[in-house]
Amino acid sequence: MTWWCAATGTPWSWAWRAYPGVWLFVIVIVAGAWRWGRLGGAPAGRRRYFAIGAALLWAALDWPLGTLGGYLAAAHAGQFLMLAICAPPFLMLGLRDAIDTQVARGGGADRILHVLAHPALAFLGYNLILLVTHFPDVVDALMATQAGSFVLDVTWLVSGALLWWPVCAPARYQRLTPPLQMLYLFIQTIPATLPSAFLVFADYPLFKLYELSPRVHPALTPMYDHQVAGLMMKIVGDPIIWIGIAVVFFRWAGAERRADLAASRP
Amino acid sequence: MRRLPVVALIVSLACRSMPKSELSGALSGAPLPVAVARPGFVLATTTGDAFDFGARTRGRLTLLFFGYTRCPDVCPATMQSIATVTNRFTSEERQRLDVVFVTTDPGRDTPAELGRWLGRFDKAFIGLTGSIEAVEAAQRAAGVARAIRTADRSGYAVSHAAQVLIYSPDDSGHIAYPFGTRQSEWAADLPKLMERWTGR
Repeated sequence: MTWWCAATGTPWSWAWRAYPGVWLFVIVIVAGAWRWGRLGGAPAGRRRYFAIGAALLWAALDWPLGTLGGYLAAAHAGQFLMLAICAPPFLMLGLRDAIDTQVARGGGADRILHVLAHPALAFLGYNLILLVTHFPDVVDALMATQAGSFVLDVTWLVSGALLWWPVCAPARYQRLTPPLQMLYLFIQTIPATLPSAFLVFADYPLFKLYELSPRVHPALTPMYDHQVAGLMMKIVGDPIIWIGIAVVFFRWAGAERRADLAASRP
Repeated sequence: MRRLPVVALIVSLACRSMPKSELSGALSGAPLPVAVARPGFVLATTTGDAFDFGARTRGRLTLLFFGYTRCPDVCPATMQSIATVTNRFTSEERQRLDVVFVTTDPGRDTPAELGRWLGRFDKAFIGLTGSIEAVEAAQRAAGVARAIRTADRSGYAVSHAAQVLIYSPDDSGHIAYPFGTRQSEWAADLPKLMERWTGR
């Protein structure tokens, strides 16, 4: 039995496969959040956010998407989108109150979280991970083993936390006003254009693993697969971040409207 | 006469700086220890015509591969890799090259199925089939390991040689490409192979 999804080189089949390591990982995160983050006593909204984040995390890592990630570059890109862009904001919003109350002010963790909310650091951290983890030699080497695949998945989750922290962190850590948060998120979508363009416009497949892996469907050739992966990073990835921008905008507009209403009352 | 040693030195240096044979490392394939003769065997094409491999491909750059259409990994990946490159050739380039696929599973690969399957990659690929004995004789002639059946969930799988054999217009095989050769490597090597052995 394999404990984590990785490229096996065995012929593809839709038969269900068990990944106990993935289940354990998700259970540890949920149990940790429940205990440390006191989710049991948290408002329903916070618990809902966390549940969505945990469900996205599980879906990204487990069968079938996790398994397909060892066969198709497009599935691998889907995993990246879910682990780095979709799941982290929900997990962070779910734990936002807990972070605010549980992390002692002035302590080491407090200082680290404050530093990480710096947009330049978040930009550099997220995009460095994005570029390095899409380098063909890195993907080919890491995806070939379960341990390597685990490292890649966790690294993407960390990169997502870096990406969203300046926007989703509790108020005491935030350094950006809502308009600057929107600008920050928009700028974060730009560097992903580079790996995306390489995948779409390369003459031949970039990842050896996905070029030579057993085919999932005859029509999905390695070239198409790479092109779909590249397009997904922009066509799916960017709109997800734009949704984040829209949420920031409407929250900001709502707060301004409430402030205006409060000011206009006698 | 005093200039002769200088001229000899220049010629000697020029010769030393000439590129080594492409088989010595400029190609991604594995050079064979000794050149082998283009094999001779007769099988049937997907339209049922007899195909004398030795005669029909004589003097041409030929890629020969043994596999089967139900192969879940090596065969589709190999044919896809070659086809991605050959499909980008000009028609003039494409005409200088034969890609021949011999089924090692003639019991299940009907000529029609074989033709359809190869056509998915490149309609110019040549599919050959025959009796088990004739296919085994072809494998022997080409010097590859005989394909063997192993039981699996779908009935049986066929273990077969995974390398692509290259025969040059001098009717010899000098090099073979193992499974794992990438599309970019085929794209770099096929034009070199054509240039080297077709003299254009």
